[in-house]
Amino acid sequence: MQGFRLSQTMAEPLLTFANAEHRHMISVPTLPRPWKKVKGPGIVGLNLDIYSGCVLGLVGPNGAGKTTLMRMMAGILPLQAGTVSARFSSTEAKHVDDLRQWVGHMPEQVRWQGAQTVREALEAIGDMRNTPSKRIEGLLDLVGLNLRKDEQLDNLSQGMRQRLSIAAALLGSPKVLLLDEPFNGLDPVAAEAFTQLVKRLASKGVAVVISSHMVAQLDQLIDRIALLHRGQLLDEGNLEEVERRLNLSNRYRIQGKGAIDIASLLSDIEHEHLDFEGDENEWSFVFRGQAEAVLHSLMASATVTSWSPVAPNLVELLCAATGMEVEDISLEVGSSAMLPMRVSEVEEDE
Amino acid sequence: MSQRIRDRQLFGIRLKIMLPILILFLPGMAWGFSDPEILLPGGHQPSTPMEVLFYASLGVVFGATMCAVLLSFDGISRDRSSGMLEIRLAQPMPRKHQATALILGHWQAIALPVYALMLVCLVIVRYRMSEWPSVVETLVYLLSTGLILLWYTLFALLASTSAKEQGTAVAFGIGVWFFFTFLWALVTTMVAYASGVAIGESNDPTWVALEGALDLLSPNGVYHHLLETQLPTVDRGISAWQAWFGAAVWTIVPWWMLHRRMEGLVP
Repeated sequence: MQGFRLSQTMAEPLLTFANAEHRHMISVPTLPRPWKKVKGPGIVGLNLDIYSGCVLGLVGPNGAGKTTLMRMMAGILPLQAGTVSARFSSTEAKHVDDLRQWVGHMPEQVRWQGAQTVREALEAIGDMRNTPSKRIEGLLDLVGLNLRKDEQLDNLSQGMRQRLSIAAALLGSPKVLLLDEPFNGLDPVAAEAFTQLVKRLASKGVAVVISSHMVAQLDQLIDRIALLHRGQLLDEGNLEEVERRLNLSNRYRIQGKGAIDIASLLSDIEHEHLDFEGDENEWSFVFRGQAEAVLHSLMASATVTSWSPVAPNLVELLCAATGMEVEDISLEVGSSAMLPMRVSEVEEDE
Repeated sequence: MSQRIRDRQLFGIRLKIMLPILILFLPGMAWGFSDPEILLPGGHQPSTPMEVLFYASLGVVFGATMCAVLLSFDGISRDRSSGMLEIRLAQPMPRKHQATALILGHWQAIALPVYALMLVCLVIVRYRMSEWPSVVETLVYLLSTGLILLWYTLFALLASTSAKEQGTAVAFGIGVWFFFTFLWALVTTMVAYASGVAIGESNDPTWVALEGALDLLSPNGVYHHLLETQLPTVDRGISAWQAWFGAAVWTIVPWWMLHRRMEGLVP
């Protein structure tokens, strides 16, 4: 396991991964060596900074390595190569075990089960962190489980189990909070409450990392996005930066009614025609360019019912970052090949 | 952590199911073997409390060890399949400490009811034979029983670290128990046959010595060697220090292996 160093410098990121690698060992039994294992998929050559008070969205398709990276950040999986530097306090730590003191980890889909009560289950985890019972009470209140604290785990709904997982992740007052697919099983009300909670924690200086394959859900929540595919970080930055780099920014959708001839109407306006659907009763036009000018021009000859910026979805981000078609990406998600994939426009220009 | 594991298992449904088996095997055997009229195969009749406890230890070998395996076989695999293992491994508590807590929690869960029943055994022996075993005999009886339960707990937890699902975990745990409890005689027989020793001749010193030596390689055999240290009439060529050394090896090696497995454990 790699060690890490601690020092207090506010301008620096809380956690810095440099050329970090962890690849899963896969059994490849052969006749002379039935125990043979080889390196399989995982995370390779990862360089990533986690900042205090910042919500980072870790986005990628199934098998991209999101959970593996989360586990590396949580100190569960050791680094096989590279380093991680942590700056949490003035105390210096020598072992990666110390990372766990400062990181709260909420894994994906924990099946809390058994005859234990909610409170007992949380206390059992709290014992491993020496968490005072007052803090446990506070957390149950925070996640809305205080009235259910004497309920047996077997009787909890999936949403309540998710809330309990969040409470468990917050037990140690973490400086970095890792949330793996936190929206799974949450109803819209709970999801909104959860979003507010994450924002509140971030405002208190907690660095939050959320993994998801649903970019739209993260849109209103994250400050930065990290695009992960086949174990590699394709791009990272705030959403606007990434969209701009991948040529996905400045896109709008205008919806309206009435017969229009888009080509002639917008002939004098600089824009890129991306999509047009519908007929004179109802149409939807997607373009990249000067939104205001296009909007005025269309309003002059038709009724515009709505207009909005178009946020990129995961597929678009991945296609743009890899230069691959969606069919190719979806087909090779299960691949264990670890090939350099970074083909963003910026690099091509270079 | 170990206290919580112990309490969960102690008051869980599994122990409730196994308690009748333990009662039947431990006090039941103590009652049977302390019968003044009992005549064992070969015309032998237990004459001292320690001899009765030695014969009644079959209940520990057949019943209590199985219960130890059944309590511990999913000690880690259940948490792995539910996702709880990932939460536990993400806590700052060192993994070695977690392993120790797992071992002690599961061991206590079986050791406490077994010790309670063993005290009942002692009372039964006293009642039937009007004689208590000596303090040393009682201590060896309790300590060696605690050790054999610990060994089977360790085997089951070790199996649990590798098992990805419950079926594998229970198959491995019960398989190890079955091997040492029922199949070990077959191993002994095969080794004797290969060595040219007459099989099953209890009066043949070569067979007795071979069986005694091979028993050091089995946890059940070591358990009986430990109890035999208090039976002056039994001599199978293994001295007390060898028996206790065997016990130390059976304790330290699986304990160390479990710690190592925990260090590299992946959710």
